[in-house]
Amino acid sequence: MEKEILEHGLHFNRRRFLSTMSLGLGSVALGSLMVPHLLSGGDNDGTGFLPGIPHFAPKAKRVIYLFQNGAPSQLETFDYKPRLREMMGQELPPSVRGVQRLTGMTANQAAFPLAGSFTNFKQYGQSGAWISDLLPYTSKIADDLCIIRSMYTEAINHDPALTFFQTGSQQGNRPSMGAWLSYGLGNENKNLPDFTVLLSRGIGNGQGVYSKLWSNGFLDSVHQGVQFSKGEDPVLYIRDPEGMDRQARREMLDNLSELNELSYNEFGDPEITAKVKQYEMAYRMQTAIPEVMDLSKESDDIVKLYGPECLVPGTFAANCLLARKLSENGVRFVQLYHQGWDQHGNLPFEITSQAKDVDQASAALVTDLKQRGLLDETLVIWGGEFGRTSYSQGKLTIDNYGRDHHPRCFSIWMAGGGIKPGMVYGETDELGYNIQRNPVHVHDFQATVLHQLGLNHEKLIFKHLGRRYRLTDISGKVVRDIIA
Amino acid sequence: MNRKLQNMAEQALIVSNIFIVFLLFFENQLIVPTWLQSVGRMHPLLLHFPIVVLLAAFGMEFFRFKSTYISNTFYLGFLNTLWLTGALLAAITVIMGLLLSKEQGYSGDTLLWHKWWSVGVLWFSTLFYWIRNAAWYKPILAKSMAATAALSVVMVGHFGATLTHGDGFISAPITQSAPVPLHEAVVFADVIQPIFEQKCVACHNSDKMNGELMFTDIKSILKGGKTGKLFVPGKPEISLLLERIHLPMGEKKHMPPTGKAQLSSQEITLLSLWIKGNADFTKKVTDLSPTDSLRIIASTLFSPVENTEEIYDFDAADESTIAKLRTAYRTIAPLARESPALSVSFFNKSNFTTEKLSELNAIKTQIVALNLSKMPVSDTDLKNIIPFENLQKLDLNFTNITGKGLKELTILKQLKTLSLSGTQLNFNDLQGTIGNFKNLKTITLWNTQLSVSEINKLQKARKDITFVAGFRDDGSNPIKLNPPQVKNSSTIFGQPILVQLYHPIKGTEIRYTTDGTMPDSIKSPLFNNQTLLKESASFRAKAYKTGWLGSDETTFDFYKSSFKPDSSHLLLALNRVHQAAGANTFFDGKLGTFSANSPAWANNWAGVRNNDLALVCAFKTPVLLSSVGLRIMEEVETGIFPPEFVEVWGGTNENQMRLLAKIKPSIPSKMRPHLLYAITGQFKPTTITHLKIIAKPLQKIPEWHGSKGSVALLLIDEMFLN
Repeated sequence: MEKEILEHGLHFNRRRFLSTMSLGLGSVALGSLMVPHLLSGGDNDGTGFLPGIPHFAPKAKRVIYLFQNGAPSQLETFDYKPRLREMMGQELPPSVRGVQRLTGMTANQAAFPLAGSFTNFKQYGQSGAWISDLLPYTSKIADDLCIIRSMYTEAINHDPALTFFQTGSQQGNRPSMGAWLSYGLGNENKNLPDFTVLLSRGIGNGQGVYSKLWSNGFLDSVHQGVQFSKGEDPVLYIRDPEGMDRQARREMLDNLSELNELSYNEFGDPEITAKVKQYEMAYRMQTAIPEVMDLSKESDDIVKLYGPECLVPGTFAANCLLARKLSENGVRFVQLYHQGWDQHGNLPFEITSQAKDVDQASAALVTDLKQRGLLDETLVIWGGEFGRTSYSQGKLTIDNYGRDHHPRCFSIWMAGGGIKPGMVYGETDELGYNIQRNPVHVHDFQATVLHQLGLNHEKLIFKHLGRRYRLTDISGKVVRDIIA
Repeated sequence: MNRKLQNMAEQALIVSNIFIVFLLFFENQLIVPTWLQSVGRMHPLLLHFPIVVLLAAFGMEFFRFKSTYISNTFYLGFLNTLWLTGALLAAITVIMGLLLSKEQGYSGDTLLWHKWWSVGVLWFSTLFYWIRNAAWYKPILAKSMAATAALSVVMVGHFGATLTHGDGFISAPITQSAPVPLHEAVVFADVIQPIFEQKCVACHNSDKMNGELMFTDIKSILKGGKTGKLFVPGKPEISLLLERIHLPMGEKKHMPPTGKAQLSSQEITLLSLWIKGNADFTKKVTDLSPTDSLRIIASTLFSPVENTEEIYDFDAADESTIAKLRTAYRTIAPLARESPALSVSFFNKSNFTTEKLSELNAIKTQIVALNLSKMPVSDTDLKNIIPFENLQKLDLNFTNITGKGLKELTILKQLKTLSLSGTQLNFNDLQGTIGNFKNLKTITLWNTQLSVSEINKLQKARKDITFVAGFRDDGSNPIKLNPPQVKNSSTIFGQPILVQLYHPIKGTEIRYTTDGTMPDSIKSPLFNNQTLLKESASFRAKAYKTGWLGSDETTFDFYKSSFKPDSSHLLLALNRVHQAAGANTFFDGKLGTFSANSPAWANNWAGVRNNDLALVCAFKTPVLLSSVGLRIMEEVETGIFPPEFVEVWGGTNENQMRLLAKIKPSIPSKMRPHLLYAITGQFKPTTITHLKIIAKPLQKIPEWHGSKGSVALLLIDEMFLN
């Protein structure tokens, strides 16, 4: 027995060890045959993502995001709280507020009097959605909308909240949602940018929008949002200089590309070919953009549908009409911002005017897409960056009050793009302060939007500075309940 | 066993173990070639051998130290061989299993358990193969090890069986009843009662009738319990059942009691919707309307939610063929990664030709969506679409096709969505062909020759198709026009100016007045682009168009300003936040607006509060001046008032100016909406080269105002010298 044990140990001499180990290495080599790119340093950036093609068949091909910048009050739009009227002027029970931090604007307020909505609500559509009288046109399309009343966010102030919604991070410098889609899905129409931005403002108290909101972040700059302005040159720097006709431009580009090709043959820098492509795209945009931006051929019916302001450049209505045209022409992501929803005070007056700015045109956009058979492949989103408090900021009078920022619950709506129509999702408590059912975090919302476009938010990844980034960072759940 | 053979087997065991570690480590990146998949699939065949061999080995190990066997060389040798064989077989089985697990359909917790238990058993038996001959290896260790190992093998087997046959396979014949298909499902019996059975019946049954309540049958449920009836049909908000469910967890009366399985939010919703729908006991799920929430949620219980994605059974087109067909104006994109289906879109109509369409014949099988919207496509072009046998979505909006072309499209058997908005289609054409579209689900007919009543007629005949009529203005809800706009780049003029009012909507009339009266659609002059203005004037204008309501009135103030000083400077500072363009603000031809949000606000309004506005202007050549105007903002609510007074000083020498005029504007005596207007001082025509303007903010806001007594803000955007 002793001898056997000794013998057994002796079997494990160095040669034996090495020969066995070499077999082990061999087995690793065998295994590596089944793991492509293991030994070649990995495919693209190690994330396994090929940009430009969806992960699975998408419901939506394009997004139009009607961002209501400044955060519209959910209590005057989609979240009906009759109890607030009954309790008008009474103190918000401390148990409801809990240990929530408030903004510096109301944290030192002596009292938190509950303020009921000055406007009335009615039920619309088959889902019986409660919608405020401020939105008569939106009410009419209730059966096309999925109203989410249980959105919540982490940020408490405009800039971080807006940046969080658009880029998935409060700090900025990350790619915007539109840039991610451009990266993930690629061009549909090669003559227009994938991601465009249109701005408008109402007379309500406004908050800024900055180009960082449509930034490409660390993605390639071709994914950056292109801002269209309301002036004579909607896209800057694409007009030919005085005296240069299109033929001359064509010849110039042809000669330039010959020179560039010589240069490429010499240095092999891929940036050179990228540049040539950009020149060509700008050349094609010279004809594509005027065609898209021309509103003069829109029929009377269309003008009536969107409202007369739709022919006044720079208004929300005009931007909605443009958004439809851009989207119809294959622009993946059209981002609108309408400023002026920050009603800390004088809410009844300001929100009425803001609602009037956007109500008809937002509803018109949905109707217009539908009558062109495009609503099923276009996702329309309407909403702000957070909600507003159910108590009054500043003095509460019988007909005037204000509302502070409220990240714990707010309402948005989505339409088309494979989202269930005629649905109301989520519920807040009777004081409209906390979510009671089906909370939807901003990352959940983003995950859902990506899902509708055929992208798995956990796989839409870009590796940057040694870290893999996603729009939804490290969380987010697709809200399956609202998917048709 | 032959020594050499044993060596080889031992080596193979080590190698396989390393290989397994490797596979486990890179499991997520593993792509199994097809031929190896077949090897993987033999896992269920092979797995029985290691189970039996290892069980036998563990059994013998258990008795190994018995006096009868400890000296029996055959027993020991056989056991050693058995052990080695079992471990090696286990290793091979594990490798196969790992390969098999990469195939579709294997996932979830059971797989994880099975995988790690098996790997555990393998490593355990490998490890003990070598240490079981160590000097310190004692009978007690051998027995406990053998027993544990044997048990583990059974566990592995069990998890594997669960993977293959499904959970509860053994107990299924006893417990399960056949699943109910959706069309036979009854709301109460198949949706509601199962909830009661799972969450309530345990405590509310004939044996254990807590609260004198039973959930076992309809009669008992209707009867309720000690506290009363369970629900009021149609009124979930006052129903006892839901009240108990909704009570906070801590409450004594909350149901189910703390510690028992709680209802999921979906179950609560189902119960609540069922009661809301009058707590019917007989309705089938499919009897409810398709948009009914109860039906929508309930139907998810009967059909699997996963895998709604369409599967295409045709082959993918050649990548190089697709690449050749792609142009800047013709996009061809796969529907998704690894999908053979293609979606094609055309852009820019000036680049469209019939050939561009016929070229697509090379990928005719793969095209499932085609967008030709706004392309100059005519009926004859449609024959190029006919070969696209798998086409499901066709967009022909705003093309030149007519009803004749439509007939051809009926050949497309897969067609589900057809967009024909903005075409010349008429009722007769469509009525004749619609019956031949077998699979069509949606057709858009907005902006065609079909009237709403005709579309409704078609809709009645074909209930399976959604006909989209779109928005049509029937004139029943006229909306208000927006006000006219002014096109002049500045409304401040020195030389006579042609007034340019306009309205963005074609065919709109603009009516205006300049006498301060309200314009109307009959008496007021029609604006015709011919108005030449020589003096300051205020235009009140409204827009009118048939079919629309007249616009709100809007006012355009045109200000004449004959002279512009060659230089000007301020003697006293402006407010820090109302700097505008400093002294240049007043003669830059730019007027400010109300909205503090607009850049025009900050850039154009110069303001003072703590001191007077004191502006000195100089002219190189003397001017004959007889009036000075200041345009101001008045926004009483926020404390912006007209000035207390304005003094106009002038002369031909900077040091010898005399007072030409002192203006005392009227101060509002009550709250009123904001206003923009000019306050003007007239005086005897005087030749001057230097001009000084002093404006004093209102020192005391009147008594009636909330900020009474404090100094008002004065805002000025422009001055007019005539």
